[in-house]
Amino acid sequence: MFKYVVKRVIAAIITLWALVTIVFFLVRLMPGDPFTSAKLTKEVAANMRSYYGFDKPLIQQYFTYLANLLHGNFGYSMKYTNKTVNYIIGQTFPYSADLGIRALVMAVSFGLVLGIIAARNRGKKLDFFCVIIAIIGTSIPDFIMGAILQYFFGIKWGLFPVAKYLGFRYTILPATALAFYTLASVSRIMRSSMLEVTSQDYIKTARSKGLSEFRITFKHQIRNAIMPVMTILGPTVAAVLTGTFVIESIFAIPGMGKYYVSSVNENDYAMILGMTVFYGFFLVLCNLIVDIMYGVADPRVRIGKR
Amino acid sequence: MKKRVLAAFLSMAMVAGLATGCGTPGGGKSDGDSADGKVFRYAVNTLPTTLDPTKGQSIGDNEIQHAVTEGLTRNTAGDVKPGIAESWDESEDGLTYTFHLRKDAKWSDGEPITAADFEYSWKRLVNPETASPYAFIGDCLKNGQAIEQGKMDVEELGVKAVDDTTLEVTLEHPTSYFLSLIGSSGQFAPLRQDIVEKYGTDFAATSEKNVYSGPFVMTSSEDNVWTFAKNDNYWDKDSINLDKCELNYVENTDTQLSMYEAGDLDYVQVPTAYVSDYKDKADVFANGNVDFCYINSKSDNPVLGNKNFRLALNYALNRNDYNKLANADTYTAFNGLVFPGLQAKGTTYGEAYDLNSYSYPLDGDQDKATEYLNAAMQELGIANASDITVEVVTTDADSSKRIVETLQEQWQNALGINVKIRQVTYADIYGKVFPEHDYEIGYGGWGSDYDDPYSYLELFKSDSSYNYSQYENPEVDQLLIASQDEPDTDKRMDELNQAEQDILADGAFVPLQARNVYYMLDDDTTGINFYYCSLNIDWVYADVNAK
Amino acid sequence: MAELNKEMFTIKGKNTQRMESISRPSLSFWQDAWRRLRKNRAAFVGLCIIVLYALLAIFAPMLSHYGFSTMDPNAIHAGPSSAHWLGCDATGRDLWVRTWMGARTSLTIGLLSAFINMCVGAVVGGLCGYYGGKLDMIVMRIVDVLYGIPSLIITILVMIVLGKGITCLIVAMCIVGWIGTCRFVRGEVYRLKEQDFVMAARVLGIPDIVIILRHIIPNILGMMVTNLCMAIPNAIFQEAFLSYIGLGIAPPNCSWGVLAKEGIQFLRIHPHEIVMPAFFICTTMLALNLLGDGLRDAVDPKLRGTE
Repeated sequence: MFKYVVKRVIAAIITLWALVTIVFFLVRLMPGDPFTSAKLTKEVAANMRSYYGFDKPLIQQYFTYLANLLHGNFGYSMKYTNKTVNYIIGQTFPYSADLGIRALVMAVSFGLVLGIIAARNRGKKLDFFCVIIAIIGTSIPDFIMGAILQYFFGIKWGLFPVAKYLGFRYTILPATALAFYTLASVSRIMRSSMLEVTSQDYIKTARSKGLSEFRITFKHQIRNAIMPVMTILGPTVAAVLTGTFVIESIFAIPGMGKYYVSSVNENDYAMILGMTVFYGFFLVLCNLIVDIMYGVADPRVRIGKR
Repeated sequence: MKKRVLAAFLSMAMVAGLATGCGTPGGGKSDGDSADGKVFRYAVNTLPTTLDPTKGQSIGDNEIQHAVTEGLTRNTAGDVKPGIAESWDESEDGLTYTFHLRKDAKWSDGEPITAADFEYSWKRLVNPETASPYAFIGDCLKNGQAIEQGKMDVEELGVKAVDDTTLEVTLEHPTSYFLSLIGSSGQFAPLRQDIVEKYGTDFAATSEKNVYSGPFVMTSSEDNVWTFAKNDNYWDKDSINLDKCELNYVENTDTQLSMYEAGDLDYVQVPTAYVSDYKDKADVFANGNVDFCYINSKSDNPVLGNKNFRLALNYALNRNDYNKLANADTYTAFNGLVFPGLQAKGTTYGEAYDLNSYSYPLDGDQDKATEYLNAAMQELGIANASDITVEVVTTDADSSKRIVETLQEQWQNALGINVKIRQVTYADIYGKVFPEHDYEIGYGGWGSDYDDPYSYLELFKSDSSYNYSQYENPEVDQLLIASQDEPDTDKRMDELNQAEQDILADGAFVPLQARNVYYMLDDDTTGINFYYCSLNIDWVYADVNAK
Repeated sequence: MAELNKEMFTIKGKNTQRMESISRPSLSFWQDAWRRLRKNRAAFVGLCIIVLYALLAIFAPMLSHYGFSTMDPNAIHAGPSSAHWLGCDATGRDLWVRTWMGARTSLTIGLLSAFINMCVGAVVGGLCGYYGGKLDMIVMRIVDVLYGIPSLIITILVMIVLGKGITCLIVAMCIVGWIGTCRFVRGEVYRLKEQDFVMAARVLGIPDIVIILRHIIPNILGMMVTNLCMAIPNAIFQEAFLSYIGLGIAPPNCSWGVLAKEGIQFLRIHPHEIVMPAFFICTTMLALNLLGDGLRDAVDPKLRGTE
């Protein structure tokens, strides 16, 4: 296990280096310039370019960036003057992470429950109901879902605050909007996985041993059926954490998504790089954790050997 | 067994995260209740780019600076009053100003505000090492432009602190709007050298890393909320009514409207989509922005170099229909270049000169358009209008997309030519496309930083940095140069107007609209001012009645 | 019981032609799959919806006398009526025509990018899984790196570098999109090639290409088809998201994503402009999901012949 983790960490570092290199040169290919405003004169733009060291050769800029990165320094934003990318991430990431974790917990717990209920009542009305929820969840884009939730629950019925993120009540609508898609896919996967497990020999054995239905479901069925859900969890965690942009915008949550998307539009090189490296790091970490959890949950998987 | 414990622990941690719900970052903050005294709450939909007065580059940046800094004068919606300067003398030739500063003016930390603070600030503005994106605004100061371009030492700038309370300013040209400009642009605010040097590149990164000279101090700049509190050291604090102000960044304008309706905001701009349904509840002001299409007269496409073709484009456009389709009638269809609300000849520019007498009719003129098109085709040797293709470039913003789609429809229908659309990012259009003239027709706009037509007309001066159209007309150039040294303000205004007429007669660009902002204001709030140069909303003198 | 005697029988001789035939009609793999798909009512409804939408997308704009970009100052935000079946948008453009023009774009993007992703992913993943060795190692390292990059950022960057348009959009979505299929196919092939029936085939000296075509592909086809059906909605969603942040297709063209984005602004006052695109996105997703489930069952060789 230890050896495996070390191997994965080294692979992760190489991945991150490749990521930095690709994105570093890719952003330079983007049309336009970070220093733009309707009123910027050529001379002033030149001053700004030398202020940020863009007059130096590209390869030198690359190594300077790598050196700074090793010290955990993402540099200064070019759009939000006098603010470091580290500061902006530090300010905004807690919000995105908080929202993401809430959504994820909601999605996984409700998704599993729905999936299990559907599978236990296969072919009955309850099953149909769960499937419909799952399909609606996967078929409405989040910006429509967010706006609709906000309109009905926030404005029309006044049940929850319309926007901002100041306490538990504020988190419910955005977390629900964000959770819906994941909830739906978790419940679908759980349902089919439960059905597959039901026909397995060890369930029949357990049943013939005279175990109670409750014990069979919880001890044998769910524990084995949960595997496929685990596998999608890694990418899903990252997707939920990076996919908060639209929801953050609709609910005016001061998270990272806005900076992430707009930095690309504004050619804010330092910000694009910083955020991408940060997210990349996160993604790798999530995948690693899921791999380890996979090993924990399934005694049959011995990750060390293939 | 260990693994099971770990699994149990992980799942418990996840459930705990949901159930407790106390971990919300920033959860302890108040909702901005009236317990704080008189509070004004509003929202913007673009993030302020900086809190450093020198480096401000957007309307939003400047609106903040207008509240937390005090210039030599204070310009409230065009009304210029003494600020840190108690009085001033202007020389006969209009080139030298001597400002006499108040002795009781203090920074928020209690230090006196001196003339040296202004000298330091203005030199920092034009210094190339500062790399302020708005350095050009210092061009009006003597040698400002040369210093900005690195051709002259920063010490040569025409500003000098004679003693603690006397500041002597020399200008490049007589500038009638100088006092108004320094009263509304945060770039001319005083700065504390010791504070700026103490924080270095982190200066003004957050609200604590600065001291304030204005009626308000910034108390917080975190979590997309900027809060301001009354500055007890402000020299004129008795005129200030608010105790607090809260500025929220809410990107989605629909959400802003919802927040206003839920009572979370006292002021909101009505999103364009909703204006028609809120017209009776909302008020309106013009924000000084005019939008138009640049025409690159020297592009590879020869038709655009042809005056008749450019005029055909202008006459073919029914600006009233266009405004209905593209802007839901929220803006004003416009056929000129200079914002008509500017001050001129003791009234407004729009009152002083009748635009419709020398410009294209707002309803368009199909016959004239066809006439000009035929003349153009004859000159260029083109047989069919359908052989002509022009490309319009625009940003990927939603509103600009609809505008360009409407232009495409109207031009294709009226002239029978082909119109293509190219969408690029904002960074691209002002970073490369316009400055490098890599376009045929481009949608853009202009808002002025000072109350003078020159700002708009400069876009068509042949050696201007902003001459994206590559337009050259010696008569226009001559009029603009003459206007700079003309001491008689009325005569100067006539010269500028003549330049506008010449530019329109050449069909140098396609004017489209003057922008309006529809807004709603809580009934209890009074004293909000609106302006059309460098800032829109000015809440410094606002008052909120206790509920 | 009567005695059997020789007179009761006649000799018909050998029928060499029918000797080899099997009484039950021989069904090819695809015939069988089709037969089972037809029996699955939900999946069949899904298929019908997709076909109906595809036909409407092709013919509806041709048959209407409105152009998809023709603006009408007198029909701004017009509600549904006999003249404009689905109403009009903010610039008075007919939404019925725009919806089906949008369907062309969205379905093209969805189908093409999902299909390209699947093909590329399956070929690369299959080769890696089947042959292993150095090729596998190198490709997997590349895949690991790409997997570590948030796909959204790569898509956006590539979109910005390439510019707007359907082709650019598909390219941008495919640059990282094939990785999922690749990882999954590789794993499956890796697992399958160790199984007894592949071993047996190999021992019998059957060439690799035949093993891949006859034994491996049919076994993973079910999963791949399901993946494909899930990938199409994903691609349509992704297009909608890119449109939402202003990076979609070039105007005046439209897609369901563009329509939804334009419509959502008017949710409160002109709900018809959001309801229709949302309805079509929803039903398409629904149909694809049902079809995907049905196809998975239909092409699974383990279920073949059972009913």
